[in-house]
Amino acid sequence: MMDVYIKGLGNISPQNTADNSQFLDKIVEYDQNNLQVIHPVYKDHISPIKLRRMSRMIKMGIAASSICLDDAGITNPGAIITGTGFGCTGDTEKFLYAMVENDEQYLTPTAFMQSTHNTISGQIAIMLGCKSYNSTYVNRGSCFEAAFQDAMMLINEGEANDALIGGFDECTDKHYIITSRLGYWKDRDIKNTDLYTAGSSGSISGEGASFFAISKDGGSNSYAKIKAVNHFYKPDGFEEVERRIQSFLEANGHNPDSVDLVVNGLNGDEEGDLVYHHLMKGALKSSTHTCYKHLCGEYDVASAFGLWLACKILKTQTVPESVRVGNAPAGQINTVLVYNHFKSSYHGLFLLESC
Amino acid sequence: MEELINKLKAEIIEVLNLEDISPGDIDAESPLFGEGGLGLDSIDALELIVLLEKNYEIKIENPQDGKTIFFSIKSMAEYITEHQAA
Repeated sequence: MMDVYIKGLGNISPQNTADNSQFLDKIVEYDQNNLQVIHPVYKDHISPIKLRRMSRMIKMGIAASSICLDDAGITNPGAIITGTGFGCTGDTEKFLYAMVENDEQYLTPTAFMQSTHNTISGQIAIMLGCKSYNSTYVNRGSCFEAAFQDAMMLINEGEANDALIGGFDECTDKHYIITSRLGYWKDRDIKNTDLYTAGSSGSISGEGASFFAISKDGGSNSYAKIKAVNHFYKPDGFEEVERRIQSFLEANGHNPDSVDLVVNGLNGDEEGDLVYHHLMKGALKSSTHTCYKHLCGEYDVASAFGLWLACKILKTQTVPESVRVGNAPAGQINTVLVYNHFKSSYHGLFLLESC
Repeated sequence: MEELINKLKAEIIEVLNLEDISPGDIDAESPLFGEGGLGLDSIDALELIVLLEKNYEIKIENPQDGKTIFFSIKSMAEYITEHQAA
């Protein structure tokens, strides 16, 4: 598969990431297990007339995509592809509650239109007047990887020269309560900065909208060259994960020793983190390691935050202290592997090189 | 009528999420759609139809009447008053 280049980023998260000129200069600390995004001034990115009908999640998605396209200097992408675990959760809740409360009468069009998973990719296309390929992946913890893979294949096959890819999910109060009952989160509130030392099961909840503009053409303003994306489901133990990572690296002209830095999806869940520790002590022991879920929390498309982190590290050649696991890298960072799994079932890999 | 007009203004602001507009900013006789008024669109029209049904139990039988009924807040109030009296 041909190389593609990441030309633009747009990331709205529980940290101050919407401004591309900053890079985790000051970490935002939370004292509870439900990390929520820091909203930018939406009127800077969306016209007030369009803004009034948009829900919280749609504002996040549209603004992140707008920041990303501006960053890349792309006005009409060759494809718009998104990934989301639950779509516009708040709108879905609103629509379903209205159905129940009004005995399936008086259903309003706005909540219906905004409650579908593909609302955001559709809204972006309408706003841009973009009639190109438009798709949304909803395969939970690997939907973002699938969206990215689709975009890369389109470019590889000459169907598009560039593409806008996004991962988004929101955590409403009800979503948080339901997923708490499923044992997703830690029983007691912790500080997000204590995530990896709290020593218990579960993680902290997060949300965000992360967009990436990719192109077949490089250039000095590119963040990174993306070599490959892969994802797999329910591997048979740590050895299979290790084997798949090795095969992935070898298929793309690398080996574990040639990976300078790994962006790990560690999320503070004692059991789920074992596989990362296995790799850090084993196949990937010679790499520098980083983690990020204390910054954004855990959610279906958290790996998009991880990819954002990898891009910023490659472009700035800086590894902020807040994301380091161990020591800072000794030299130049040329190759980065992003590895994440969601609930030990959905595993995703991105391989990036500096430009 | 004045009371109904003010109630409608508040309801429309809430239903259509007109964040930066207060009831005092809306001229009851200005057109709701197109230039020179609130600049509402076809999706807003559907929301207003649902508002009439839900809050006033008025169902618009003939879609052709929509243009007249939803011309302004005042025309909406007159239509509601007329139907509630009947």
